[in-house]
Amino acid sequence: MNAETPAAPAAKSKKVVSANPADRYSNAGPSPDPWARCALIEYGGDRSYAWTVRERVIHTPAAETGRTEQQLLKSLATPGRTEAGLAFICQMLAMVGSAKSVPVLAPLLQDAKTTEAARYALQPITGPEADAAFLAALGTLTGNAKAGLIGSIGVRGDTAAKSALTAIKDAATEPAIVRGAATRALARIATFKA
Amino acid sequence: MNSSPLSRRDFLRHSALATAVAAAPLILPSGLRGQNAPSKKITVGIIGCGNIADGHYGPLLGSPESLKVLGVCDVDRDRVNAAAVRVNTAYENTDCKTYSDFRELNRRPDIDAVFICTPDHWHALIAIDAMRNGKDVYIEKPLTLTIAEGRAVVEAARKYGRVAQHGTQHRSMKRFHDVAEFVRNNGLGKLDRIDCWIPPNNRFCDATWKPEAVPANLDWDLWLGPAPWRPYSSIGCHYNFRFIAESAYGQVTNWGAHYLDIGQWALGMDDSGPVSVEGKGEFPSSGLFTNATSVNFTVRYANGVPMHCRTRYEGGGTVRFVGERGWLDIARDKMSASDPNLLREMQAPNKPIQLELSKNHQDNFFECVRSRARPIADVELGHRTTTVCNLGQIAMVLGRKLQWDAAKEEFVGDDAANRLRTRAMRSPWSLA
Repeated sequence: MNAETPAAPAAKSKKVVSANPADRYSNAGPSPDPWARCALIEYGGDRSYAWTVRERVIHTPAAETGRTEQQLLKSLATPGRTEAGLAFICQMLAMVGSAKSVPVLAPLLQDAKTTEAARYALQPITGPEADAAFLAALGTLTGNAKAGLIGSIGVRGDTAAKSALTAIKDAATEPAIVRGAATRALARIATFKA
Repeated sequence: MNSSPLSRRDFLRHSALATAVAAAPLILPSGLRGQNAPSKKITVGIIGCGNIADGHYGPLLGSPESLKVLGVCDVDRDRVNAAAVRVNTAYENTDCKTYSDFRELNRRPDIDAVFICTPDHWHALIAIDAMRNGKDVYIEKPLTLTIAEGRAVVEAARKYGRVAQHGTQHRSMKRFHDVAEFVRNNGLGKLDRIDCWIPPNNRFCDATWKPEAVPANLDWDLWLGPAPWRPYSSIGCHYNFRFIAESAYGQVTNWGAHYLDIGQWALGMDDSGPVSVEGKGEFPSSGLFTNATSVNFTVRYANGVPMHCRTRYEGGGTVRFVGERGWLDIARDKMSASDPNLLREMQAPNKPIQLELSKNHQDNFFECVRSRARPIADVELGHRTTTVCNLGQIAMVLGRKLQWDAAKEEFVGDDAANRLRTRAMRSPWSLA
């Protein structure tokens, strides 16, 4: 073939869609999506995808946190999500989560297996939506998890929770650690203005 | 008179009160009750028996006529047993009891004071529980992990009327006192800046760490306590916890708590703080350790003076005050100045502003346990210094300049930064 031979037209191939524009210069396939891969991290494993997401979350301009929040919520739904991945995503949501996160986090808060991570994300989210999620979880959690939940309600200062917490404080069927948590939460809430 | 500690200023202003206080019918800790209370032994418990506690055994065991260690507590059975042997050997008896759960030690009615030498993520909860149970507390630095925890500890100290000393022992070293007092009296002329240098991290973790089986001697669940759960790894437990952000903020809180504290003292900011902070840190993107390996932040005060905090890879920690008359550089083991005359002037008596002088940090604490005065490093100023550390950490994490309202203890107009003032605790633990 000499230099003047016109190139054959490129065969039509299936277009590769990648989140990374730089991928069009590479034949190595699309870059993994860090928003999905951060949900799959393992304790002791590679956390570079989580680091990438963390950097994006932290440096999101205030006006765009809603979009970042949506990406994190999408990450939560990644198939095969790991325990470490859940914890990481919830740590990120603790920084940028809003009322829009509550419907996704509320079921996780009620599940003893996921409640710790969900509470980490939900505790700093202000507003009645999150308050309601905490109150609803009082009916499903038990033991230590319930005590931790009550502690978060106390820290949030939800005055509307007083009657529920008073009932728990006085319930002979509740373990001492739960009743004690309710007592302290009520004392804490008393320092907040209604 | 109740048992609430007097403010140090009031205590010193009315010097006659100092004598009266000793004889007044105060509500004293359990072991001090009695007409000749000052001659009674103060009874002590030690919670956390690792590296930091090592520095306390000598002073605590070296004064058997006035102090007695009754109990030691650690979630590591090997460590707590070794601590008990150390105490019992010093006393030549077997009286010292061991505990794995701090709540049991805190509920002993015969213990007056506890030393809290645990990882940072535990300081607040253990201190509050101890004070709720009538103990005076010596809390190792940093006072707490988060800003919200620090305020809660201060509130508990006031609510329960307890003496609470922050373990920033530079406050009881004459060299640091003299420099702070000299700067407060404008000895350097108009102050230009304060430079704090902190050592680099001395432990590292690459990406190859793996979860390990929990050793039989360790209660890993209680070691973690309020920190988020993670599997045990020997790399991420004793000592090294300080490099993991779930437990501490690296050298920012480890050494920054000491040197930034002297800056706060010299500026008269013991009940306040800076108005802004900005900085940049280099954080590891892999491995178990998550705290900055290189620190560089600046807090600025309302009078315009900046205090810089940076990592120095050789030469150790130090704080330098730079003013229009020159500079003073001070570390634990040395002091230098741009002009030797500054060092001589520093020793001149009768300065208009005189700072309290304490010769020994533990002695000061025990003196206050008896007198009910506030100690040289009362929790309020400990909290304010720890807050400066936190401001630096948060600014480096977020990578942007932040405005700080020291009266409200909140960032101005930055929701993400304000959220980093606190964090949810793992069940069943809570600040409430």
